[in-house]
Amino acid sequence: MALLEIRHLSKFFGGLAANADVSFSVERGTIVGLVGPNGAGKTTLFDCVTGFHRPDRGEVRFRGIRINGLSPARVCRLGLARTWQKVRPLARLSVLDNVVVGALTRTRRVEAARDLAREELRVVGLSDRAGVAAGTLPVGERKKLELARALATGPELLLVDEVLGGLNPTESEEVVEVLLALRASGLTLLVIEHDMRAIMRISDRVVVLDSGEKLAEGTPAEVVEDREVVAAYLGEP
Amino acid sequence: MLAPPPLPASASAPRAGARAAGTWLAAAAVALLALFPVLVARPYPLHMGVVLFLAVLEAAAWNLVGGIAGQYSVGHAVYFGAGAYAAVMLLERLGIAPWWGIWAAALCAVLLGLVVGTITLRLRGPYFVLASIAAAEVARLAVLHFRAFTHGAQGFVVAEPPVLRLPGLSLTFDGKRPFYYLTLALAVLAVAVNRAVLRSRLGYQLLAVREDQDAAHSLGIRLSLVKNQALAISAALTGVAGAVFAGYSRFIDPDTVFSLTDVSVPMVLYCLAGGAGTVEGPVVGALLLVPVSEALRNPRGLVSLGLLPAGSGVVGFVERHLSQAHQLVYGLLLVLIVLFAPEGVAGLLRRLLRRSRARPRPAPPPA
Repeated sequence: MALLEIRHLSKFFGGLAANADVSFSVERGTIVGLVGPNGAGKTTLFDCVTGFHRPDRGEVRFRGIRINGLSPARVCRLGLARTWQKVRPLARLSVLDNVVVGALTRTRRVEAARDLAREELRVVGLSDRAGVAAGTLPVGERKKLELARALATGPELLLVDEVLGGLNPTESEEVVEVLLALRASGLTLLVIEHDMRAIMRISDRVVVLDSGEKLAEGTPAEVVEDREVVAAYLGEP
Repeated sequence: MLAPPPLPASASAPRAGARAAGTWLAAAAVALLALFPVLVARPYPLHMGVVLFLAVLEAAAWNLVGGIAGQYSVGHAVYFGAGAYAAVMLLERLGIAPWWGIWAAALCAVLLGLVVGTITLRLRGPYFVLASIAAAEVARLAVLHFRAFTHGAQGFVVAEPPVLRLPGLSLTFDGKRPFYYLTLALAVLAVAVNRAVLRSRLGYQLLAVREDQDAAHSLGIRLSLVKNQALAISAALTGVAGAVFAGYSRFIDPDTVFSLTDVSVPMVLYCLAGGAGTVEGPVVGALLLVPVSEALRNPRGLVSLGLLPAGSGVVGFVERHLSQAHQLVYGLLLVLIVLFAPEGVAGLLRRLLRRSRARPRPAPPPA
């Protein structure tokens, strides 16, 4: 059984179908890339999976448990964490304390949470920024903080929403390495990304959304050959 | 809407050394305050102490919900009034002494807090503020309405509390001195509770809620659970404050103890003025604002403290023209604070202190 199964998921805003009958699954230990033009419904799908939206139709199963309709806190506690495309640092808390907040979902003890948090900061390469107020970080480091904080909750599956956006090539390469290392350590990732070269490089499978519908699914090599995908991105030939 | 202050230069945790120094300073201040009634027996200075300590207690209670969790309740009078009425009515109707009534007051306020919190804490921003004001107003009107039970607008004149007999000791609550010590102890307790919460798991989760509720939710924090926990602790302390106030003033009525302008708003202002969400903020804010309002309300007090010569023209002027001005002065002070010290006076002092020894330092050690 796949770690995450999305079956016939639909979400409407008024008459607009942000997600229309989307089905796919994410196998343990893999990275699945979720791509598509702006407005394709990628972030809406994340919101449906993580409890911020209630799907109108279909179901989401995580570890076999039906999770649509559960609160975001419950979903997180089941082991499904997310990062935000528009980063949401806890601005007046230090970088370390941001991650401690996440870690306190895994342990009740503040001291233990601080140790976990330091470890996650090391993983994403933010250790030297631990004492700084999170609101003062530049965008690249905010993205890394998003990752560290979500990781600190101890997820089995991490949903990553455009963590490479706004990063310079060096930072981008660092974060890609972090994602690959996470997969190597056994974590499963579902990654929204606009950086095509990066997503094709790290993904085991790629799902393409367009106008709320699933357009294609397959290995990166299969997807880039798909004529419909090319059409969605570049227009009809 | 009371907007949260912009980013201060640094994060929540001050350096460990500064924190230890602060603890010693606070302990010394409390020791001095405990000695004060031994040295000064005149009632007015002791009365000032009671008023100040009650203000610290209320502000520190509010800080848990408003400062740390960022939920700007402007209706905490509902817990203050509930505590006052619970203690007084137990004494009047059932003859239960305030030593037990004060616990009942806390319990009553907590239960009310859970009801109000469950309904209103799901609202965010200005909607929560309005709902909190409405809750206090509903309570005031209910007490006014159910006259047979509550005496309505007539209120209660509170009988002298009976003597508390403990093994080897009996305490009478007459005069100012017992209330001075009682309110001092409660103020210290409330500040200590703030400190303990800020260092706990709950404290981190409340700070996260304050900063960004959706982010906190996505990190596994059960929003209504942690907000209601904060409100329960806050309501308990506020209820106790109400009960003590009732015993001290010996008279309560709905318009006094459920007052928006005399109970709900001042505790918010003390916190914002001092520094919301910090341990020292409620203390600093109360120290700053309470003397101002007391001087304007009762300028003769300045004479009895020896700050003005007897027969000073200032007393007459203040009494004639400024006796209602403390609200105005509060308002002006708040505007100045929001403009120049958005993180409160405590935050401003901390910033100035940091600037005065602005030299490169290694990153602060984790607390």
